Amino acid sequence: MHSFYLSIVKNRDHLLFILLTLFSLNILLNNDSPNTLLVRAKFLDSFSFISSPSKWLKTIVQLEEETQLLREKNLQLALQSDEMIRSYEENKNLKKLLDYKKDSNFDLVASKVLNMGSNSNLSSITINVGLNDKIKVNQPVIIPEGVIGKTILVGKSTSLVQLISDVNYRASVRIYPSGSVGILRFLRDDICEVREVQKNAEIKLGDAVMTSGFSDIYPSNLNIGNVIEIQDEISSFQKIVKVRISSNIGSLMNVFVLREQDNE
Amino acid sequence: MNNFQIFFIAALFLFIQLLLVDFLSLNHIRPDFLVIFTLYTSMIKGKTYGMIIGFSIGILSNLFGVGSYFGLEPLSLTIVGYLGGYLKNIYEKVLPYIFHMLWILIILFHFLIICYFRYQNIYISDLIEFLFIWFATTSYTLLFILSIQFIFPFREASNAEIS
Repeated sequence: MHSFYLSIVKNRDHLLFILLTLFSLNILLNNDSPNTLLVRAKFLDSFSFISSPSKWLKTIVQLEEETQLLREKNLQLALQSDEMIRSYEENKNLKKLLDYKKDSNFDLVASKVLNMGSNSNLSSITINVGLNDKIKVNQPVIIPEGVIGKTILVGKSTSLVQLISDVNYRASVRIYPSGSVGILRFLRDDICEVREVQKNAEIKLGDAVMTSGFSDIYPSNLNIGNVIEIQDEISSFQKIVKVRISSNIGSLMNVFVLREQDNE
Repeated sequence: MNNFQIFFIAALFLFIQLLLVDFLSLNHIRPDFLVIFTLYTSMIKGKTYGMIIGFSIGILSNLFGVGSYFGLEPLSLTIVGYLGGYLKNIYEKVLPYIFHMLWILIILFHFLIICYFRYQNIYISDLIEFLFIWFATTSYTLLFILSIQFIFPFREASNAEIS
């Protein structure tokens, strides 16, 4: 017994290493367990305020730049708005003629980005809305440029958003105008790739990539990005389409959660 | 360095990691101050401290928000703490370039684990691109390590508790 105890003491470093490694692997393999999610949600609710000084500083730094961008955007939008109003009226009349049934059942919840994680690459953000704002898991998170992710963890007043730049992020997309569908996943920087695209699909550079509406998470026609490269190898049965997404992901300050409206 | 000092510095590094990485982010690649601290701790205090510190700050870092692979950071930092512990008190025993190669290899191994999980799509589709990302991610943190060498070099850390 004594020698056993001595051997434990002698090899405590190795034993601790094995123990911690196994514990880490256990956490890693049980990412979706309710207990893990609960602990993560509670922690985010309690400690997300810690990163607020950094966000405040960043807001100040980016404010001037953002104001300039907003001025430009405002001008562009003002020019577009007249055309949009005309199109809207025309669309309304046409819908009335077709007895169009309203199928959009979403509203937008504005939120601030509290932190952007602390890992060596950017894969998530924490936002300041949660269960109190009727946010649920698996709701799309968007910015004016398009989809940037979805909620994966919801606390009382905060939520964790899995960004499009996360390795496990997937979205069903449709490429316009060809209408081809595929599965989008992140590649690097601000580039994603769409796989499972039919080989005979007619896709051109610059084509718009939008959500297909096939999944339960994203409604159709939310912008994602534009086609920048098409890989069509002879040996492959499918095309691979590379897409440039919004390059703003690294400096997000405000995002919107697309929340399903209550049907009361 | 006593336990309180280690705890205080660990908290400081965690704050730095949490508050400053956004500003230091280049093309979505961010420096990892936690691996630097874990390596220093394990060199100064040995494997046990290194692993406990690595695991603790790794899990705290993950709790502050990670999209997927929650638990990856504690795993890789535990490994860094374990391997870094072997560098304690060995600067005088091996040739300097071997010592420096060893800690660079540990950092490379840490980022290999992280990049393999985070960029597995690229690993499958384009190995050269993956190697480039691995190299770029490691180099960015190495830049900060090299800067710290002017203040507190690894050779001093390795021999910190001899005298």
